[in-house]
Amino acid sequence: MAVAEHTATDHSGSGARSDLTRRILGSSTLRLAGRRLLAAIPVLWGVTFLTYVVMDLLPGDTAQILLGANATPAEIHQLSVELHLNEPFWVRYGNWLGGMFHGSLGQSLTNQENVTTILGARLPITAELLVYAFVVSLVLAVGFAVLAARWPNGIMDRISLAISMTGLSIAPYVLALVLIYLFAVKIQWFPAIGYTSPSVNLVENIKSLTLPAASLGVPLFAVYTRLLRADIVEQMQREDYIVTARAKGVRPWRILLRHALPNSLFGLITLVGLNLGTLIGATAIIEPIFSIPGAGDILVQSINDHDVPVVEGIVVVFAVVVVAANLLADILYAALDPRIRYGRVAS
Amino acid sequence: MAASLPDLLVTAEAGRTRPPRTRAAAGWIRALRLWLPAGFLILMLGACFVWPNVYPVPNPVRGSVLYAGLSPLSPGHIFGTDPVGNDVFSRILYGGQVSFEVGAAVTAIGLAVGGLLGICAGYWGGAVDAIISRVLDVLIAFPALVLALAIAEGLGPSEVHVIWALSVFSIPATGRIARSATLELREQTFMLAARLSGTRGWRVLVRHVIPNIVPQLMTFSLLGFGVVIILEGALSYLGLGIPLPEASWGSMIAQGQQSLTASPDLVLIPSAFLFATVVSLNLLGDALRERWAV
Amino acid sequence: MSESLLEVKDLKVTFTGGGRKLRAVDGVSYCAYPGQTLAIVGESGSGKTVSCRAIMGLLPPTAAITGSARFAGIQLIGLTDDQLRRHRGADVAMVFQDPTRSLNPTMRIGPQIAEAVRTHRPVGKPQAREEAVDLLRLVRIPLPERRFMEYPHQLSGGMRQRVMIAIALAGRPRLLIADEATTALDVTTQAQIMELLLELQSDLGMALLLISHDLALAASYADEVIVMYAGKIVEHAPAPRLFSRVRMPYTQALLEAIPRLERPAHSLLPVIGGRPPDLSALPAGCSFAPRCRRAADDCLAAEPPLTEHEPGHRWACWHPVEGGAEGGAA
Repeated sequence: MAVAEHTATDHSGSGARSDLTRRILGSSTLRLAGRRLLAAIPVLWGVTFLTYVVMDLLPGDTAQILLGANATPAEIHQLSVELHLNEPFWVRYGNWLGGMFHGSLGQSLTNQENVTTILGARLPITAELLVYAFVVSLVLAVGFAVLAARWPNGIMDRISLAISMTGLSIAPYVLALVLIYLFAVKIQWFPAIGYTSPSVNLVENIKSLTLPAASLGVPLFAVYTRLLRADIVEQMQREDYIVTARAKGVRPWRILLRHALPNSLFGLITLVGLNLGTLIGATAIIEPIFSIPGAGDILVQSINDHDVPVVEGIVVVFAVVVVAANLLADILYAALDPRIRYGRVAS
Repeated sequence: MAASLPDLLVTAEAGRTRPPRTRAAAGWIRALRLWLPAGFLILMLGACFVWPNVYPVPNPVRGSVLYAGLSPLSPGHIFGTDPVGNDVFSRILYGGQVSFEVGAAVTAIGLAVGGLLGICAGYWGGAVDAIISRVLDVLIAFPALVLALAIAEGLGPSEVHVIWALSVFSIPATGRIARSATLELREQTFMLAARLSGTRGWRVLVRHVIPNIVPQLMTFSLLGFGVVIILEGALSYLGLGIPLPEASWGSMIAQGQQSLTASPDLVLIPSAFLFATVVSLNLLGDALRERWAV
Repeated sequence: MSESLLEVKDLKVTFTGGGRKLRAVDGVSYCAYPGQTLAIVGESGSGKTVSCRAIMGLLPPTAAITGSARFAGIQLIGLTDDQLRRHRGADVAMVFQDPTRSLNPTMRIGPQIAEAVRTHRPVGKPQAREEAVDLLRLVRIPLPERRFMEYPHQLSGGMRQRVMIAIALAGRPRLLIADEATTALDVTTQAQIMELLLELQSDLGMALLLISHDLALAASYADEVIVMYAGKIVEHAPAPRLFSRVRMPYTQALLEAIPRLERPAHSLLPVIGGRPPDLSALPAGCSFAPRCRRAADDCLAAEPPLTEHEPGHRWACWHPVEGGAEGGAA
């Protein structure tokens, strides 16, 4: 055991300056990121493949659906050929996959527009909505959780727990309707439907996105607050380093913010990564309610139309975002925990 | 804290800034936290499944247009009628049946399939874990909503299809929890002891792993139950769940949306029941988690 | 004899929970003087740690504390957390048992020490850093400037404990409480840390309170020893006296249970039979009686009071051990 002390001395010889070099060259975080990236690729492929399979299995002739009930068999056949719809599954999938590697996501079956163009127009809107909902709910969650954890079982705590429970239990679409009724019909603060682009009018843009963002964000806020508050309280009550800090005479707020909070973020980071998929999926319901012309808005419509390229395009983008977000969460986790960054030393 | 402090006291009382006025009061509050939501759920189950068979209730789908659009508290229709003439109260009850049935089925499937997968992945690790985890990852990254919509759209909306579609969502979620719970358990010394004493794989699983992760899975499933009910509502809301004219809280909300400004109660009443049910499930899950110290 | 730095009188700590009342500390009185090393020895559950944490106000809010603990004349019991905070670290400091868990894992050790420096004195960051490095040097950590930026997990157990001591000393306390500070360390490191503590104590003139379950440790390093059992003091004497003329059967049993080289090989270690007492249901009479070899009827009937039967030597027993060098100094 006495040897351990010497080992420690030797190993930790490199100080703060050669830290940076060591980090870049052989950083475990970088290696971690690399490994995760590698693992993410089959996942992405799996998602796109599965989607293609599912869309393909949908009964009903795509060409017929597109042309409507009055189409003649000849017209249907002609459209099928035009859209390559009667080629075998693998050919179609291969074409699509190949196209993707060349940067093309194909064309919408309904209106022949480039899927990339469609997504280019709609994705930023969904992105703005998501970022709005996410950032506001996260900021509020941290604020509430900290206040709640400062006085466990106090007033602030009980209020935040009640709000969390409510937010958790309400369905986003229900919340959307309730919000519309309250804030758009009764007190007319926000528009019930419609979207204004930020380049036209920034204030109107924010207003038009507020109710949808709230519908998405409230359940998020609820989940984040609950988890963070529980983690902070657990740190404050069960961890020995908190007792050390108290014994030092450190002020309670500083103990909470400087010691407990940083150590409580890990659960939240993982949760954010996991929740992203659900959040993105929810836009498919929320956007149509508020007539926000985002990617979620056309998702349902495209599925109904059997418009495979559009559906695939959206799914691919969403899957990439989810996988990337989880990857980022993993990296962030490692970055925040020095034990993972620098590895362990003897004893 | 020091070894001399009995753990039971620290866990039982930790976090209270003020000790409860009387021990009895604390006991009552704790019991209420469990039995109030549980009681409500039992009430709802009874109302939805037992009442219509025992006491006559207006038919939920064959209302007459003559009575359309009645407001709540009208004679014979406590909650009024919808634009087609159906009695809202009975639609709430029958819609509740759907919600509970779907919730129970999806949760059960999630536990059985997802739970099993997760336990296997966590217990055996290695290649088994890698494969199962990748599959679960794909399912989680996959926008389950798309799949649900696709199934509903392609196979036609029905309760069974909704169950399949939502199971795709519930299996990976339960699987993840089961896996991490098993992993945590595996590190504990008593597991090592079991393995060293020569207990074979399956027996260890059944006698040691499963009993110990059941509490965690149960509380997770209760929360999941609520989520499934909300999702079923979402599908029905989009017209891809339980087909009209059958009753479902989600489709009732969708219908009510059209007359939101004029008669908001058509949205508010099913929303209120949806909310109350999910809140009760969540509260119950919390209370059980506290009881079982998960 | 200089003025006592810490004067504890009839300290009692009770925990209530699950319908039971637990008397963790049941009337403890003693004094600690500057430059003196006082050891409090007892098994788990004896109340030794609880009593010291009570003085510093580090117990959960469910602990009911009564009695008196005066530090340099200031009454500490009954102060609000805010008021106590001013004393923590500056007047009274504590070193804990498990340095692995007692240091913030995501914060570098240097800033953790500097934080202790800046908590009680308005010192700028660069100066605090310098002082922290000085403290690292004081606790004999090599290459202190480099260590400053390291994380706790990069240090060995012994070094982490030195960091804890550095943190404790940052506020220049007059009383240092070492709560099982060496229990988690191997024997060699243990000796090093104890030597360090004693050196620092004599250099800085602090009073040192050693809490331990290890009687041998107390014998080697303390001036005075207090033995606690079931929340009460059962014997209190200067160290040499305690070990040459032990009186309380419990202390004697503890001494006998120390493994020694002089004993013949493979001899049975004389352990104390029975189990530690249930603090919520203490027997009437002497708490140790159920496990005592010398117990008689009056032991079970009435509790023996802690009395100074010989000058400087207190004990609480109806039938103390007689005679000379039983147990012998370690």
